[in-house]
Amino acid sequence: MTKYIAKRILLAAVTLFVIIFVLFVLIRIMPGNPFPVERMSAEMILQKRAELGLDKPILVQFADYMRMLLSGNFGNGTSLYNGAPIKPILLACLENSFKIGVLSIFFGTAVGLLTGIVAALNRGKFLDGLCTVLSILGVCIPSYVFMIFLQYFFAYKIPFFPYFFDPSRFLFSSIMPALSLSLFTISTVARFTRNEMVEVLNSDYVKLAESKGLQGFELMRRHVLRNALIPVVTVIAPLVVDLLTGAMVMEKIYGVNGVGKLMVDAIAGEGVDYNYVLALGIVFSSLYIGVMLLLDILYGIIDPRIRLSAKEAA
Amino acid sequence: MRKLWIVLLALVLFTAAGCGEEKPGGGDYLPVMLERSVISLDNDYIMDTTSMEVLGNCVEGLLRQDRNDKIIPALADSYDISEDGKIYTFHLRDAKWSNGDDVTAEDFVFAWRRVCADANEYAYMFSDIGRVKNAAAIISRKAAPVTLGVSAPDSKTLVVELEEPVPFFLSLMPLHIFYPVNEKFFSSLAARTYATTPETFLSNSAFTLEDYKPGAANIRLRKNKNYWDAASVHLDGLAYQVVTSPDDALTAFKNGTLKLVKIDGDHAKNIRDDESLAKNLRTVNVGHMNFLVFNTRNENLANQNLRLAITHAVDRETLVNDYVMDGSQPAYTAVRPNFAFNRYNDEDFSADQNKFAEYVGYDVKKARGYLDLAKAELGAKTFELGLLYSNDAGTTLVKVAQALKAQLEANLPGVTINLQPMTTAERLDKSKKQRFDIVLDAWRPDYADPTTYLTLWQTGNANNFGLWSNARYDEIISDCMSGDYWNYDDYWAALHEAEGIVMREAAIAPLYFVNQTILLADGVRGIEFHALNLPRVFKFATIK
Repeated sequence: MTKYIAKRILLAAVTLFVIIFVLFVLIRIMPGNPFPVERMSAEMILQKRAELGLDKPILVQFADYMRMLLSGNFGNGTSLYNGAPIKPILLACLENSFKIGVLSIFFGTAVGLLTGIVAALNRGKFLDGLCTVLSILGVCIPSYVFMIFLQYFFAYKIPFFPYFFDPSRFLFSSIMPALSLSLFTISTVARFTRNEMVEVLNSDYVKLAESKGLQGFELMRRHVLRNALIPVVTVIAPLVVDLLTGAMVMEKIYGVNGVGKLMVDAIAGEGVDYNYVLALGIVFSSLYIGVMLLLDILYGIIDPRIRLSAKEAA
Repeated sequence: MRKLWIVLLALVLFTAAGCGEEKPGGGDYLPVMLERSVISLDNDYIMDTTSMEVLGNCVEGLLRQDRNDKIIPALADSYDISEDGKIYTFHLRDAKWSNGDDVTAEDFVFAWRRVCADANEYAYMFSDIGRVKNAAAIISRKAAPVTLGVSAPDSKTLVVELEEPVPFFLSLMPLHIFYPVNEKFFSSLAARTYATTPETFLSNSAFTLEDYKPGAANIRLRKNKNYWDAASVHLDGLAYQVVTSPDDALTAFKNGTLKLVKIDGDHAKNIRDDESLAKNLRTVNVGHMNFLVFNTRNENLANQNLRLAITHAVDRETLVNDYVMDGSQPAYTAVRPNFAFNRYNDEDFSADQNKFAEYVGYDVKKARGYLDLAKAELGAKTFELGLLYSNDAGTTLVKVAQALKAQLEANLPGVTINLQPMTTAERLDKSKKQRFDIVLDAWRPDYADPTTYLTLWQTGNANNFGLWSNARYDEIISDCMSGDYWNYDDYWAALHEAEGIVMREAAIAPLYFVNQTILLADGVRGIEFHALNLPRVFKFATIK
């Protein structure tokens, strides 16, 4: 088991390293400058490039960058916010995206589970059909359409919610952004929950439990949900990362100061901010890799067959 | 199962606990749209008008512009200019920073040395434009920052020494790059963290930062009680909201969330027919001129007749009325009107848009005549030219480029235009490396003098993308910039001559002067709009 986990961790580290290297090289061969050049002479630009170390060979630059990264530092911006240190700014933006993400995960899972359960219990009836249609719609409608729809109706036509996100009224103004983000989660969770539950409800052990006289909520809680939810959790995990890393479109539409907006500013600002783009890329990839690693390890613990097959393959 | 619910509930409570729900400030905060995020609030690093505006409502320099763009005193009460025009002595008024410190002449000396030492985007205002003594040497790292020609004999007197007399030197002073910085406060902060939060920022003007984080989509400014002219400030504060979509801007205005928004041409056209909104519509002069630059390294575009053919084949009226639609005006001069006025008689340098009718204007017959000449001289029947433009700044430029392609191909038989859309960063990169045939470029004046445009096409200027060169033109501009025209009338006449050369040789083809269409809520008054420097000033704004 230890060997299996160690191997997974090593693999994750190598993946992250490769991603950082590719990002690093790509961003340097990308057109555009790390600083705006409209009013600078050619000599001044060369001077600035030298100050940022951009005149060194790319592998030397990469080594310097990795050294800085390993000391737990993302360095300073190259064109945004007068070159202030990236870390505190990145953390502040992550916090906003995380908070809205958590809200939407909570909402998405809760409503999704409920919808799925209702559908499964009423299999073949009207409610089941309604839930299925709704969850298919939820997967098909791009979330930005839903975002604009919500904003138009509940902030403009009926001016109940604030039109833009307002950090001073965090909870209230993040309801619409969180809701619109959770649409996809709701639909995915609902569909999976329904399918898994239908399967479990038809299984022999549930029938046995029923014949023993177990009924209603107790049956659901002890036998059906517990078994049906395990596959659902594995679907939610990658969705969680998606929601936590912010949604660029959502942040743009509601004016949220999050990582998605930071990314847009870093790329489309006056100059391309190399270090912000890299830092954000690294944070996003680390989150994905981290979640996948966790899932891999969990699978290994839950299901010994996965561990064994990995060993055989090796 | 129960545990899962408890965990989720705990997460939500945790999230909710992390944020207070009451709104800070209150009172008369004017909610205003910002088109983009603020990139920096450190005057040394600012290069975009959005950041300039937010900073400019918080910090003041020696002089400022009044409602009609006249230069008037701000922190400097008065000033003296030496006989030879090389020494400016500014006398500062009693003013305070928002932390209670006095604004002193040393604050200017510190800030100006810092700008030259750091050599960022706008540092050239000290060297190439302002000609402050030793600025050029400091920027190119050949001299120490302390050698800059600026000194503070006492805390209320600032002496600036120039290398040459600069006729428009005073008009540079309202620009952000000449703002003061409180040295004691600045030195107490960690490196590069100045102006990144309200705590690391000092203001000395109408407003101060109340709520700001780098990249914030909403920024709140509060009235600065320590401002020397606080009695003139009536707003309690400003609430900026970054809105990037024109649709959002319009709906946010309609439901009252924002009281001042910028709208694009498409919406402006519809609103003109909408009675309930038309009364809120204003067109303001914000300063850009959009023009085509021809790469003279291209063997075909090196031919003056081909360039003249193109400039005569563009129907600017149609371009502005049917495609831009936001109140912009067709351009027939190389300098935009409404920002550079003659010091003595207030004559607008570019008021007369017909002065170069001979060289520029929509005339298909003339255009085809030039094209035939070009074909004969170059021995070619067809020309294939690329047109570079930015597609990351709204849809207007995209529409303009498509319209240009249609007009040029229809009016000039044998000419094919290939559209090359790209990001602004990429466009500038390619322009600087002459990797283009024609580029759709824009320039907003930096100061109130025609040379802010006319230096652009000087040989060796970093923004002379087309590498066009004319000896007489270079001579005039360098004489004007080095103070050889101490007689203002001669100076003005020389600049007119220089502009004539640009137009005669079609170094560029002016397209239109960008104006902005805005919606302003009823009862909001006193906002100043400027063609240069700060686009909007809220010092005197009121809400009824």
